[in-house]
Amino acid sequence: MDAPADLPLRERLAHWVEHLTHILPAQAPIRDFVHHNTLHGFQHLPFADALAAAHRLTGATPYLSEARFRDYLAQGRITREDLAAALDDAGIPALDEPIQHGLSRRDVLLASLQCDLQAACPERRKWLADEGMDSDEVAKIAHFLQSTATIAETPAVKGDWRSESGQRRTALWARLGRDLTWCGLLEHLTGEDVLDRVRTVLQRHLAAHLDLGMAAWRNPLRERGFYAAWRACAGLDMAWELDELPSVRDEIAWLPEDAVDLLAEELPRLIPDETLWPGYLECLALELPGWSGMVLWRDRHALSGDDMPPVAVADYLAVRVLLERLLVDDLLRRLTGGPTPCASLHDWFADRPAEFFVRDALRQRTLDEETLSAALRLCRLGEAAHPDDGAWQTLAERIGPSPDSPLDRARLVVLLAGPLGARPADLAAWPATVVDALLACATSLDALTRGQVWLLAYERHYREQLLVALAANQGRHRGAAAPSAQVVMCMDDREEGTRRHLEEIAPDIETFGAAGFFGVAMYWQAAGDAGRTALCPIVVQPVHVVEEIAAPGEDDALRHQLLRRQQRAQWREALVQQTRRSPVLGPLFAGLAAVPALGALVAGSLAPAWWGDALLRWRERRDGMPTTRVAMTAEAAAVAPTPQAPQAGFTDDEQAARVAAFLRMIGLTRNFAPLVLMLGHGSDSRNNPHRSAYDCGACSGRHGGPNARVFAAMANRPAVRARLAAQGLAIPETTWFVAAQHNTCDDAVHWYDVDLVPPARQADFDTLVAQLAEACRAHAAERCRRLASAPPHPTPWQARRHVTGRLHDISQARPELGHATNAAAFIGRRSMSRGLFLDRRVFLISYDPTEDPEGRIVEGILLAAGPVGAGISLEYYFSTVDNDRFGCGSKITHNLTGGFGVMAGAESDLRTGLPWQMVEIHEAMRLLVVVEQAPDVLSAIVARQPALQELVGNGWINLAAKDPSTATISVYCPRRGWLPWSGPHVLPQVGRSVDWFAGERDALTPALVLGGVA
Amino acid sequence: MSPLRDVAQLIWLVPALPLMALALVGGRVLLGRAHGDAAEPLTARLCGLAALGSLCILLLIDLGALLYGAPGYRLFGAWFASGRWQATLSFLMDPLALAVATVAALIGWLVMRFSANYLHREAGFHRFFIALCLFLAGIQLVFLSGNGLLAFVGWEMCGVSSFLLIGYAWERPTATGNALFAFITNRAGDAGFLLGLGFAAAWLGSFEWPSLTAPGALTMLSARLLAFGFIVAALAKSAQLPFTPWIARALEGPTPSSAIFYGAVMVHAGVYLMLRLSPLLAQVPDLMAGLVVAGVVTALYAWLCSLVQTDVKSALIFATVFQVALMFVAIGLGWTTLATIHLCLHAGWRTWQFLMAPSWLALAPHAPRPAPAWLQRSQLLYTAALERFWLDRLALVLLAKPTAGFAHDMQELDTQFIDRVVGEPGRGDPVQADLPLIAADGVPGRLLAGVAQRCQQVEMHLSLRGRGGAAELALRRMGLWLRTVEHLLERPRYLMMAVMATFVVIL
Repeated sequence: MDAPADLPLRERLAHWVEHLTHILPAQAPIRDFVHHNTLHGFQHLPFADALAAAHRLTGATPYLSEARFRDYLAQGRITREDLAAALDDAGIPALDEPIQHGLSRRDVLLASLQCDLQAACPERRKWLADEGMDSDEVAKIAHFLQSTATIAETPAVKGDWRSESGQRRTALWARLGRDLTWCGLLEHLTGEDVLDRVRTVLQRHLAAHLDLGMAAWRNPLRERGFYAAWRACAGLDMAWELDELPSVRDEIAWLPEDAVDLLAEELPRLIPDETLWPGYLECLALELPGWSGMVLWRDRHALSGDDMPPVAVADYLAVRVLLERLLVDDLLRRLTGGPTPCASLHDWFADRPAEFFVRDALRQRTLDEETLSAALRLCRLGEAAHPDDGAWQTLAERIGPSPDSPLDRARLVVLLAGPLGARPADLAAWPATVVDALLACATSLDALTRGQVWLLAYERHYREQLLVALAANQGRHRGAAAPSAQVVMCMDDREEGTRRHLEEIAPDIETFGAAGFFGVAMYWQAAGDAGRTALCPIVVQPVHVVEEIAAPGEDDALRHQLLRRQQRAQWREALVQQTRRSPVLGPLFAGLAAVPALGALVAGSLAPAWWGDALLRWRERRDGMPTTRVAMTAEAAAVAPTPQAPQAGFTDDEQAARVAAFLRMIGLTRNFAPLVLMLGHGSDSRNNPHRSAYDCGACSGRHGGPNARVFAAMANRPAVRARLAAQGLAIPETTWFVAAQHNTCDDAVHWYDVDLVPPARQADFDTLVAQLAEACRAHAAERCRRLASAPPHPTPWQARRHVTGRLHDISQARPELGHATNAAAFIGRRSMSRGLFLDRRVFLISYDPTEDPEGRIVEGILLAAGPVGAGISLEYYFSTVDNDRFGCGSKITHNLTGGFGVMAGAESDLRTGLPWQMVEIHEAMRLLVVVEQAPDVLSAIVARQPALQELVGNGWINLAAKDPSTATISVYCPRRGWLPWSGPHVLPQVGRSVDWFAGERDALTPALVLGGVA
Repeated sequence: MSPLRDVAQLIWLVPALPLMALALVGGRVLLGRAHGDAAEPLTARLCGLAALGSLCILLLIDLGALLYGAPGYRLFGAWFASGRWQATLSFLMDPLALAVATVAALIGWLVMRFSANYLHREAGFHRFFIALCLFLAGIQLVFLSGNGLLAFVGWEMCGVSSFLLIGYAWERPTATGNALFAFITNRAGDAGFLLGLGFAAAWLGSFEWPSLTAPGALTMLSARLLAFGFIVAALAKSAQLPFTPWIARALEGPTPSSAIFYGAVMVHAGVYLMLRLSPLLAQVPDLMAGLVVAGVVTALYAWLCSLVQTDVKSALIFATVFQVALMFVAIGLGWTTLATIHLCLHAGWRTWQFLMAPSWLALAPHAPRPAPAWLQRSQLLYTAALERFWLDRLALVLLAKPTAGFAHDMQELDTQFIDRVVGEPGRGDPVQADLPLIAADGVPGRLLAGVAQRCQQVEMHLSLRGRGGAAELALRRMGLWLRTVEHLLERPRYLMMAVMATFVVIL
């Protein structure tokens, strides 16, 4: 941003583009959807400031609407105590300052938060009064207030619109390059969006250039970059003539060859002041945030593959700037009746204050209907006939400056009276100065601060419930002396349910949670995959690759299966591609495929679960099910492997190191059970462009099963066990690691390498398989309570059937609800939370503080899991609070574009973020991370880790600590440090989870589950 | 008689069932009963059942037709009549109608079932189902009706429901703008349809398909004019050139509506109309040749445009238009059976493809085969294809802008001249400076004010000037006269005279 001014433009531009990464959506092409903080670029700011900055820049609303919060208040999801405490938490000054009669500022603010302060516009007020929906009381009190007013209320002085016109003009021009482009400024003044004329074709050009494999015919000049490709087309485009812009084609013919030269030429014409250029380019990019973001992403991430033309932000910005200048010139010509450079528009309007005043007032949406239509008419005439100043002046006189209506004050008094517990007339009868002070105090918080207070109250309410639950659960679980199995799952909030049900079904099973790549960062190449995919958090670049290979003797079977699969995929692809592109084969294929396609639709519609299962079984029978193994052992370490040329497999030492580090991290270092299950997870669904958003976030939006499988295979190797024993981590020989993958959509479990389980463990294994299947069914029943189309009181089997149907149903816009319920994270021993019903709202990360007095392990966990959890929670947060701007709207009109994103309908900006269907039941609050560690240890960790400083210090996540030695709980406040927490230790008790959730549809409070504790 | 033969008498239920569902759902919405999750299943079930009912009736009729031959033309009664022509409620169940209607009913039912899940918790859930029912009823009328007038009613119902669903996301200006564009373009086709119907009424006195297509009923010229009207209608509905741009802009609605309207069913309505009228067309070979030309040009256009499309729905829609154009070519060449089979199979396949559009990445992970090399090199053709040959811009410049300009001029005329002449209430100027209470605006207002003033003057002059005014004197004199006459009449002889005079007059 602050590149030195003496650098050449090209280098300064590079700085500015770097800054763009902070404000544009950073979403990758949609098949690699990974959750991240939508406002990641603002993370260096405290949460509230960042939200305010984003609001200024994009106009998005960063908090839930006050109406929604007030609903929560009415439902008891927020209490008045929460609100009062939130005022303190938000750091609102002078809360205890008295106003009158024992009323402090706190009381007044509390009352004001409960009122809808949004004043109605005069027209609406008039309408309400005419319809008899405005109470007479307001008018009476308005009258009364006016009669007692001490300070002479400035009556509306007609005529001083001239000075106001000047002020508003200066203010408007000051925004240019800060949060407004010429396009926006002129839209404000004329109501015409100049971009409208070219937006459609610009989006087509962008989509064509960024295309990852949709179009068969691409721009001949694409290899020379977007600017050259666009220019070649624009020079031949007849649209200019049709749009009455004939001179444009000549200008395009003489454009410089290089985009940066063009920028150097055009920017001064738009904005003479060079210091405003970066801001101006930002505003320009933010007018089409989706497309700009995708251009930027491609600029930053070179994609491999054939036919990937170069993508540069400079090219894109050059085209945008040029179009802006051309179109703005044209609009100015029409507006002023002659060629007018942008720079002189300010003076032009300075000579016509009346015209400016009327045009500006038109957008304030406060004019009455008659004035509005007169103003609109003048504006419309402005282009053709250029009406004389007299007409504008007459209208400007009529509009005049907007006075403060006494009705607004009266309305406020009436509103405040309710929550303050007084009669409106009594309030109005107070001395005028007191009423003034009261009203001033009630309106002293701006909309954003009010939103922040509400959010804090909302978060506090849930935090109290959760901390009470933790306190009540203290010491309930003692741990099994000889566990029958240990199950390591992903920390994912969805697995909280699975773990709880498994523990209820088998109290002698211990469960653990960790980031779902199980410490094995790798590239994975499944049998038959053309390329390899990174299975690890997005910030990690793996340098090892693991391949799936045929088990000994199964080579032919595997080859047969892959061949069949490949043939099927090729046929399918040929069918969908040729019917859209081939003139000869298209009709033929369409005719051949029609009857089977209709048959599949009928079957899939009538019995999705049966049809999906039948297809799968048919494929398995036809293709065979060859046994495979993972090739994860390297003989010797490669020299300096890189992500581009990774090492094939891990050496014995590397394997031992990964296994040891992981087991130490989750605190599983002794008392090993006969079976240790590594349970990765993924989500499968049909007809869902956002599929990877449901997958394992710790595996970059992929299935985490292969990581579990590789980990288990490593831990079973005698060479690794020997090395572990040498490090003091003795795994008994009787212990066997097994791996499986949990499908969070249909709660199915796919087991890996079943044939390798030693005969001695087979019985234990069978028990575990049955127990886990039962737990998954119970979990499915719990999930069904949030799904409207599920049976209301399903048995576990019915529930499982229902979710299977959801997976296979092509019409299902909500195959599962993803992380929609996420709200908190626990880092600590399972004893902390075992036996608590947490409603699938909590990330559970295993960590043993007793083994880690200095906090080295928890530091690593926080560094790895913190950003993942915060990314998920914040993406859900922002997509929920403003689904239109931060999210991507409803799925039902989505149109997959270029293989990299979705548009709404036939053409629109590229939509990023989460679809509304994923967030509709989300409760928008920041993640509360409760760590089982001493507060001072945590303080030290946060202090020495800049990444955590940002997350915790700036309040992007909330932190609480549960001291492992004293079991006291403290809550961290970025402003006031650690605050000791105290509260009741009682909670409702139920026998099993199902007793608590049966029949309930909404979010549930925690409860003690008696059945889950060993 | 077999009940399978009688089931053809129930054919009217095929369009009526969706209409009933529409009425029920519409009633629920109007009564405020359609709120929240709980209201959704009933709406979805009602509409789904209606669609299933239509499908089952059609399947039974199909079965009967297979066993005993197609029921053919059935007249159910007169709708209304005027002069020598009559509008009837008649249905025509020949193999063509039954085949196409069955496919449409099947697709309609599938899309209903698809939408129940897909649109869950949408604000426009019930609105969507209402529009879809309207469409199903309309399209079945088009396919099954025995006469052009009833088909036109269905044709319009399809047009309205299409407009409603393109504008489904009415908060987006692009969506509403495109809905309007599609609606207005389709009105051109309606004009053609009406033209054809008008000629039929004038020359044949009947709208029944059998009489329209009867050989030798019309002279060559009449047949040509009649067919021309229907061809324009067909070209517009099936988005053939020059009407193609509307269909690419119509993809704003939810995916299932895109599938049934533009991918599968409605886009084939024009083809069906041509198939229905193919005996008539056969009488005018030059128009048949015209169909071939229109089809070939559209196919070329759609193929070129489809090659550059980067989003799934647009790519599919141009591919659809391409194959529909081939059907027009086939009809033009007289291969109507081929066109019918192509129509049914194509509709089925596109339903699947449009409904599966969100999974394109999974179905076709690789790039398509590139366009031919000679095409790849042409920058001009590429630009033209990307701009879709500027057709919608041309429509904007040639049609929309002049119309908008005309409307503005009219509005100016209205505000500047007519409003001033006519005057508006509440904004007049005082007629006389010393009498501010009397204000008048516009010519009638001023006229009235003038008349009122005149009247007032008369009143002042005659009566209000108090006692001794001219009017009072005259009135008093008249009262005296009248009283004298009354006195005279009260005497019997005069009374008798009056009675006799009356008799004399009567006799």
